[in-house]
Amino acid sequence: MSSIDANIVIWLNGFVGTVRAFDDLIRIIASDYLMPLVFSLGMLGLWFSGTSPAQRVKYQLTMLMGISALSIANIVVWIFNLVIERPRPFVEYGDQLNLLFYPPTDPSFPANPVAVGFAAATAAWTINRKFGWWMYGAAAVFGFSRLYAGVFYPTDIIGGAIVGIATYGCTTYLRRFLEPIITGFVRLIRGLSAA
Amino acid sequence: MNTDPDVVRALFASHYFLLAFLSSLGTLQIAVANAGTRGLWMTPHAGMTRLLGIALVITAIAVFFLQPLWVGGPWAAGSVEADSLLRDWGTASWDEIAGARNVNDIHGGLDGVKQAFWFSIAAISAFLVSAIAGTVTMNVIAFTEEQAGKTSSLDESGGLEGLVHRSYLSNLLISFRNFKSEIVEVWRSGIRNSDKWSLIRLVFSSSSK
Repeated sequence: MSSIDANIVIWLNGFVGTVRAFDDLIRIIASDYLMPLVFSLGMLGLWFSGTSPAQRVKYQLTMLMGISALSIANIVVWIFNLVIERPRPFVEYGDQLNLLFYPPTDPSFPANPVAVGFAAATAAWTINRKFGWWMYGAAAVFGFSRLYAGVFYPTDIIGGAIVGIATYGCTTYLRRFLEPIITGFVRLIRGLSAA
Repeated sequence: MNTDPDVVRALFASHYFLLAFLSSLGTLQIAVANAGTRGLWMTPHAGMTRLLGIALVITAIAVFFLQPLWVGGPWAAGSVEADSLLRDWGTASWDEIAGARNVNDIHGGLDGVKQAFWFSIAAISAFLVSAIAGTVTMNVIAFTEEQAGKTSSLDESGGLEGLVHRSYLSNLLISFRNFKSEIVEVWRSGIRNSDKWSLIRLVFSSSSK
């Protein structure tokens, strides 16, 4: 399994240098700033998007769950990193890879940025299927860019996606322990004319 | 690295804030234009507000990724491909612009927590700017509607619904009044209807007994 994983990343990274414009595009997509910003903007946009009071409450409660899921996904990845210290591909196969990104120092499994992206996308998907699929697409492209850049294995990406989706599911389930605080919080923001 | 990571971090924070502020403002304008929340529009027309929003998002992203061309940072010519530890201070060339922002957070890039902090501040600022601009817009819309002989709405709903036909400040008073009058009942019915596993229900049911 591990060798298939390594073969895929070495094969994919082998295309680096073929089309310069594509490599540059990957460098921008893989950046720490672009795609996380896209996920945050997606959530911000949905907060203000409802067209009826009932739809707004539904959107805003889901966005609060999505934001909580992002934070919890980071903690889950951190716990995984403590238990499974998988080295990055460039550490093990550095002589066969052309790195397009800075060499991160944290463990490889699961992919933290992908977990965050999939948590946000799942939140969006539960209230707006079409927009949610776009967000899933963005999260998948983010994962691909990091794979192509040589900083993650394919199983790190898959693991990150599962962590993101599962974390959102758990966060939604756990919401029942904290109601009516969450609905009351949305009411408070509504009292400030922002919900 | 030839530069102090804290200096790099401060530079990234100011650039990221500008990116987050402009793109949040743009996203907000697109969303409120689609939802018809006129009290937050920056122009009196939905189509124009939407276009302004798209332009703001594109400008924000373009400025952020092109800024290394004219602002000095840890992306000097010849150092972009290098490990961030070996980068020099200066401006980037066109050839190296795509990777210029890829600086590890231990060397001055922004980690997730700092990004979340700056994004929150930027989004709140974008909302406030929209609210101020929306006040002017609502005056223009009210004047136009008055000229056309339309009567103003007497709807007392607050929150974003109220912003459909009121400016932020006049809506804030109504929203807060509604909040004060509703919150006790919302809380009580919330506890009544909450899940049997709700910690809040557990605490408040026992205390009321």
